Amino acid sequence: MQRRVGLAVLVLSFVAPVAASAQQVIGAAPEASNMRLVGYNDLQARSAYQPTIHHQGDRWIAYIGHHGGTEAVPDPVNPMTGKAEPNGTSIVDVTDPAHPRYLHHIPGQEGKYEGGGAQMVRVCDGKTLPKGDRNAVYLLRTLGSEAHEIWNVADPENPVLVTRLGGLKDTHKSWWECDTGIAFLVSGAPDWRVRRMTQVYDLSDPAHPVKIRDFGLPGQEPGATGAVPTELHGPISLGPQGNRVYFGYGTNKGGMLQIVDRDKLLNGPKEPTPENLRYPEISRMPMSAFNGAHTTFPMKGMPIAEFAKDKDGGTRDIVMIVDEAIQNECGEPRQMVWFADVTTEARPMMISSYTVPEESGHFCSRGGRFGSHSSNESMAPVYYKKLAFIAFFNAGVRALDIRDPYHPREVGYFIPQITDKTDKRCVTIEGEERCKVAIQTNNVETDDRGYIYAVDRANTGLHILEMTGEARAIAGLP
Amino acid sequence: MPACREIAMRPQPLLVIALLALSVAWAVLVFEMVQSRAARQQEMGTGRLGWREIAWPFPRDGWPAGRAFRCQSATCVQDSEIYLRAKLGFCNCDTGVADDDEVDRVADIDLINPRFAAPAPGRVVRVADLSGRARNYDLESGEGAPHSAIGYALSHRCDLMVAVIKGSAAQPLLEQAAQQFLASHEVQRWMLAALESGK
Repeated sequence: MQRRVGLAVLVLSFVAPVAASAQQVIGAAPEASNMRLVGYNDLQARSAYQPTIHHQGDRWIAYIGHHGGTEAVPDPVNPMTGKAEPNGTSIVDVTDPAHPRYLHHIPGQEGKYEGGGAQMVRVCDGKTLPKGDRNAVYLLRTLGSEAHEIWNVADPENPVLVTRLGGLKDTHKSWWECDTGIAFLVSGAPDWRVRRMTQVYDLSDPAHPVKIRDFGLPGQEPGATGAVPTELHGPISLGPQGNRVYFGYGTNKGGMLQIVDRDKLLNGPKEPTPENLRYPEISRMPMSAFNGAHTTFPMKGMPIAEFAKDKDGGTRDIVMIVDEAIQNECGEPRQMVWFADVTTEARPMMISSYTVPEESGHFCSRGGRFGSHSSNESMAPVYYKKLAFIAFFNAGVRALDIRDPYHPREVGYFIPQITDKTDKRCVTIEGEERCKVAIQTNNVETDDRGYIYAVDRANTGLHILEMTGEARAIAGLP
Repeated sequence: MPACREIAMRPQPLLVIALLALSVAWAVLVFEMVQSRAARQQEMGTGRLGWREIAWPFPRDGWPAGRAFRCQSATCVQDSEIYLRAKLGFCNCDTGVADDDEVDRVADIDLINPRFAAPAPGRVVRVADLSGRARNYDLESGEGAPHSAIGYALSHRCDLMVAVIKGSAAQPLLEQAAQQFLASHEVQRWMLAALESGK
């Protein structure tokens, strides 16, 4: 059997040389269209998750969350301290995006990959929070799976711990409203039946957090029996004005968008009974079992040019839903980007989708994950409702023209080059491990100036980009 | 334009050879797959354990289908069924199957009946080189005989193998049958192969 399979593989190796040629090599130029590399920092070769860029006085500071370390290097050495530190939060001055300057690393939780680090970051100014210290700048981050922390990063070279909310079994991508202080913390409350649910806190005074309630899908609460609904990945709130919170459940399977009335969530009955958990829900939109809802990014009131002459429905409320690819080398259904029209909130409907064509880069053969992971979450006017940026793992960052969300269109991309720090990604074939090295763009964020920040899960670092050509014109950038 | 016509009328010899080679390779692989499947059925279905492989009885969901077996002799437990499925990409690479809630979520009990309840805490189990947890469940029934199930969730690096036995027999009998089944060399070999290859 083995000999015959070997023969078959040998024959196939002669007729499929194209796929192998897609692999990245160190020193090759990045692949790009309508996007240009402005600056780079290696982030101390730490696996990166969420970047948040904050305008702080006259400086622009990037705060970047990290996963835990790797098998080979569990705790990379911080060259600034000379010490091995578990991956945590990188703080980088990007005021001059061509020359980003690494300022500080706040160590995270011991543990490898998703089992450690400090993946998530959000930042609010003390002067914006209702009860914050006006001189403070607050960084909300996860501490691995066990806690949420708030640091004062007013002096980003010397962060100071303010608060820790511990005793959890997991954490993930939280949301923090800076103007109210309300935080939707993705937590694993020990008595809930899922690793990830929502704990709503009033963090308007970060030094004195006030718990408001626990929230999740009926069936996830303590004491429930029977099937357990898909766990939360993360929410995005439109604050008191929009009065909606968009929750994404599932990561790469059985996804669901849940639209929630924020006021009812905050002020309704709080005991986690099935009735009380249903009370603030406006609607749900289940997705295919093949796809998850990693990011649910709302864009309300989008004028649709095609519908401009229609007597009704000329503007639409849209939610962009991004799945997360998890398996290396296309070992699962394609994870991609979806657009849902939620104008009639009780009956949301998927209207379009986007994926990178595999053949355009033979991405299933490049190594690592191929598929979407996340989008930028900044609602700054420069790109909001015009361009969206999607982290697509080994296909880099993809820029989409979303002005007509019924027909999203790719207008640019940037696939960073690998370096000697880029970590390998492996699959098992016939019991043998086979590894490749490829870029794994994990997250992307934008700042108010229009720079795009892409970070790599495979330890390559931070790439600061800008739009060029037609894509730049869409944003109205000079 | 003429070049196109030439290509259309006279296929290149290299292309023909490549296509022929591809066809031969494909035929070899299909033959081996069919043979190996038949051999597996022989081993696991009609062996001393008394289980016969049946079609995967559940609708398509987010995970690829697994393998299903029905007891057909007194050597197992009459009318019971066992379902096995590899779930690749389970995220808790370090902690494995952490607690009973994890078993409730992943062990495929909900495929049999979404209305289930666990009468007691689960237990740590080890099958082959896989460690995890098992938990007993009562399945809510309508007017028929009450059914029980035992769910197993076993981790292997970042992946998961789940198994469920269900039937109308008492839970100790189901547990004994499941343990015999899972302890068999053939089943263990298949589970490890499925986790290694993703099939």
